[in-house]
Amino acid sequence: MASAGDVRDMLDLPAEGQPRPHKKQKVVEKRPEGITRELYALLGERAPPIAINENKYKGRPKWMNKLRVRPWSMAPFTNSARSDGLVLNHWQRKHESARPPVAAAQDESRMDVDQPREEGKDETPKPTEHDYAFAKYNVKPRLPRRYTDEEYDGNLKNDGWSREETDYLVDLVSEYDIRWVIIADRYDYQPKIDTESEENALVPAKQHRTMEQMKARYYYVAATMLAIEHPPSEMSEAEFELHEKMLKFDANRERDRKDLAALQINRTADEVREEAMLLEELKRITSNEQNFITERRELYSRLEVPISVGNTTMYQSSAGLSQLLQTLLQADKSKKRRSILGDGAVPSPAGQTPNAAGSTGRAETPVTQAANNKKGSTASKETHQAVRTLTPAEEARYGVTHHERVSAGVQFRSDRAQRLTQAKSNVQTQKLANALAELEIPVRLFMPTERVCKDFEKLIQSVNMLLDARKVSEKVESEIRVLEAAKFERERKAREAAGLPALPRPEVKTEAEDGNTGISASHPSDPLAAAGGSAQSGQDQQNVAREASNGGDGNHKRSASVLSATSESNKRQRR
Amino acid sequence: MNPSNPPQAAEYGGDEVSAIVLDPGYSTTRAGFAGEDAPKSLIPTYYGKYNADGQEKIVYGDDVFVTPRPGLSVYNPLNKDGIVEDWDMAEKVWEHSFMSRLTGTKAGNPFQNGLNDDGTQEPPEEMEVESDEKPLSDSPLLMTEPGWNPAKAREKTIEIAMEKWDTPAFYLARTGVLASFASGKASALVIDIGASNISVTPIHDGMILKRGVQHSPLGGDYISSQISALFKANSPQPITITPHYLISSKTAVEAGQAPQAKYKTFPADKAPDASYRALLEERTLAEFKECVVQVWPGPTRLSAPGPNGIPNEDMARTYPGRPFEFPDGYNQVFGVDRFRVVESLFDAKAAVPDPESSFPPPTPAQTIPELVKASLAGVDVDLRPHLLANVVVTGGSSLLYGFTERLNHELMQMFPGPRVRVTAAGNTSERRFGSWIGGSILASLGTFHQMWISKKEYEEHGPNIVEKRCK
Repeated sequence: MASAGDVRDMLDLPAEGQPRPHKKQKVVEKRPEGITRELYALLGERAPPIAINENKYKGRPKWMNKLRVRPWSMAPFTNSARSDGLVLNHWQRKHESARPPVAAAQDESRMDVDQPREEGKDETPKPTEHDYAFAKYNVKPRLPRRYTDEEYDGNLKNDGWSREETDYLVDLVSEYDIRWVIIADRYDYQPKIDTESEENALVPAKQHRTMEQMKARYYYVAATMLAIEHPPSEMSEAEFELHEKMLKFDANRERDRKDLAALQINRTADEVREEAMLLEELKRITSNEQNFITERRELYSRLEVPISVGNTTMYQSSAGLSQLLQTLLQADKSKKRRSILGDGAVPSPAGQTPNAAGSTGRAETPVTQAANNKKGSTASKETHQAVRTLTPAEEARYGVTHHERVSAGVQFRSDRAQRLTQAKSNVQTQKLANALAELEIPVRLFMPTERVCKDFEKLIQSVNMLLDARKVSEKVESEIRVLEAAKFERERKAREAAGLPALPRPEVKTEAEDGNTGISASHPSDPLAAAGGSAQSGQDQQNVAREASNGGDGNHKRSASVLSATSESNKRQRR
Repeated sequence: MNPSNPPQAAEYGGDEVSAIVLDPGYSTTRAGFAGEDAPKSLIPTYYGKYNADGQEKIVYGDDVFVTPRPGLSVYNPLNKDGIVEDWDMAEKVWEHSFMSRLTGTKAGNPFQNGLNDDGTQEPPEEMEVESDEKPLSDSPLLMTEPGWNPAKAREKTIEIAMEKWDTPAFYLARTGVLASFASGKASALVIDIGASNISVTPIHDGMILKRGVQHSPLGGDYISSQISALFKANSPQPITITPHYLISSKTAVEAGQAPQAKYKTFPADKAPDASYRALLEERTLAEFKECVVQVWPGPTRLSAPGPNGIPNEDMARTYPGRPFEFPDGYNQVFGVDRFRVVESLFDAKAAVPDPESSFPPPTPAQTIPELVKASLAGVDVDLRPHLLANVVVTGGSSLLYGFTERLNHELMQMFPGPRVRVTAAGNTSERRFGSWIGGSILASLGTFHQMWISKKEYEEHGPNIVEKRCK
């Protein structure tokens, strides 16, 4: 017979490649007591779901049986919380002086196991030596000192409260441990003025004191006494707080509060139902609000992605691209998690409260408009109500604009403005940038408001036109030059032929019929207004134009400057 | 120890000083050792008086019910308000309650107890002094009282305990407070449905609020009178209750048929008093209350139309009836009537009219919902929601079938705003002995032992001390 080794040999396997799987070990369960072997064999492997064990009394552990029974005795005790030394009897462990040492040791080892109750009693030879275990619960609240006669006369006099009644109140307060509910319940002051007059006369004279009156009076007394004991400047923080609290007690407000509480408790079933409904509604609204806030926060965190300024060379290789992909995925994941967590740590302008979102400045972006729609705030209502037509002034104020065609999706206005500065060719773009740099207008607008953008657009357009015009004019000039040179040559030849001396070169002249007429007039460039966005730009523009036209007078110097080009073209045009 | 820090739970503990708790009610008097879960001694507060051999004899305890002695008349030392009227007899009845089961009679003079019948020796003098010992000289006593107990009665109580019984320490606690302790609450609104009275007691921090205590006589005895009125107006024939002691034998009869029983007759000079018969009739009525009477579960009143347009009375009629057999064998199935007899606890207009009854027809202010309302009106507003969330129902008559359910509905209708929660012990004995159990808990607490009025203090200040200490 072939053994496993032979097979391995044939298949060229290593001698002991893998350890052989162990045989399943048979678990032999112990046969429980009280069941015969035959019956247990019949049960098979699975034990029945019922308990076979008989219930029996567990009893004490064996080692306990060796211990001696510890005697208890009825012993007298006194309670230090009492002033009269009443002696009562209770059961307690008997103290044994003549105990065998072994038993004593065992006893002690056991004592800490089961002794929650009579700590301190066990070891006492005489019960009176140790304090009664429950005496420590005899506590009283700390109250300010009682006033003396002078102090009362000096600080505490009150028209509504006699000295006797104040005494009575302070007594009650200390008797019932400042539990006002009980004090107010038991308050039954009998003025002692007319003891000789009959009972009936006293009853109407007695006035009913409300709990608020009592509190106000007592707090006033207690605060004054506290201040007499320690002036407020020397009080500890807790004391001062208490003093302030007591001084600021307002009985009227408390009474009003209680009136409201009474109304609250005496509501009818209908009112209760209505309140429940309103609460439900409120819950719905707040949860909507919450949803809105989290949604908006997510949106803002998405908008917040910084514009990359670094160079892109590192991403041009495939390794760089895959790395970029990885980092993007990572960022995406972490962002998602963050938005699920919904913590306020997301660095976004969404720190603003939802109320701020309703302001008019917000309504300009389509995103917040949509969000406002959901919220139903007033701003969005105004923009969308077809019923109400706005005057142009109002439109300007609220930033309402009408678009012929709105492109889908979200975009930045500044992006659109920036796109204008990108010409078809790099040379042209460079020229545009140069022109803007000369005007000190940044390529990326600082404040891309509606108006600024519009003006910027116009500016770029006119700059483009000027550049075109310059190109044409340069071409024409060069042609003229060539032609004049040719003419000069021709004339020279003719003179030479006629024997005349050579003429000096004529001055170069520009022509009015260049096809560039009306450029500047129809598109007045407005660089200052575009840059500053200020209201008085119109006048500035005129000044600039005039200056430019004057400055260029009779000057034929060529420059790359657009402004001079403008002036030249103007001049040319005028001619 | 700082008063603002609560003690740790493990530190709480009992410390039993073998105090006796005595809870005297109108119908029964309960007594037992503090720390136990039910009173060991339960006797009727009624006592019997009769003449034998020209001497007036008095019967206490359950013996009252057993033998129809000639001329036996039954009295109660308490008046209908649950306040003691006959102090001498109250003292005897109470003494019997703990002497018979708890303290035992003191060992008499061994020379006179009949066991040492020598007769030759003169008893030594010092033995005489010992036999004069008073019943409670080594047990502190905690007694209960209703919330409306007058100051005079309280002083009289401590006087008896200190001077007649010689207790070393005494305390007088309100039943309402104890009942709330028994259900583990320091603040509660306790509704106690007793035999002679129903009471509503607001408790705050273990003290009653006196201005909120309300009580009215619509207790178990009133329900009995309503049942009697119902029996008088019973439809096939008026029912008269013949107590067991007047029946020698009976045979079974069909429901509604006239009873066939042999009656015992007593000659006029041997017959017990009418009060005895009334007491035994009351026992049958109590059985009737336990077996048949049911409180309409609500949520609306029995006389009101139900939720689906059918009047509640018609709904009640559709419920299966409950049979009851009287001692003479007469038996009948009781239908909607079994709801009517207790409806007046909640709805004064629903009372079964009976001009001969000793109870005047109830006024609306005496019904339980109105009592609760009046009670809550007497306490501070801030406390009311808390009290309503801790309503404790106690007292034997509150065991009427469906009582707590109905009470809950009534309270919820009256106060739809705050949360109402009615707590009632499910255990019969805990419900019947609520205030005794609370007393048992209180008197076995280690922290309570500083509150006892000791004999020394009593001697110093006189009985007036009870007003100062048991507040």
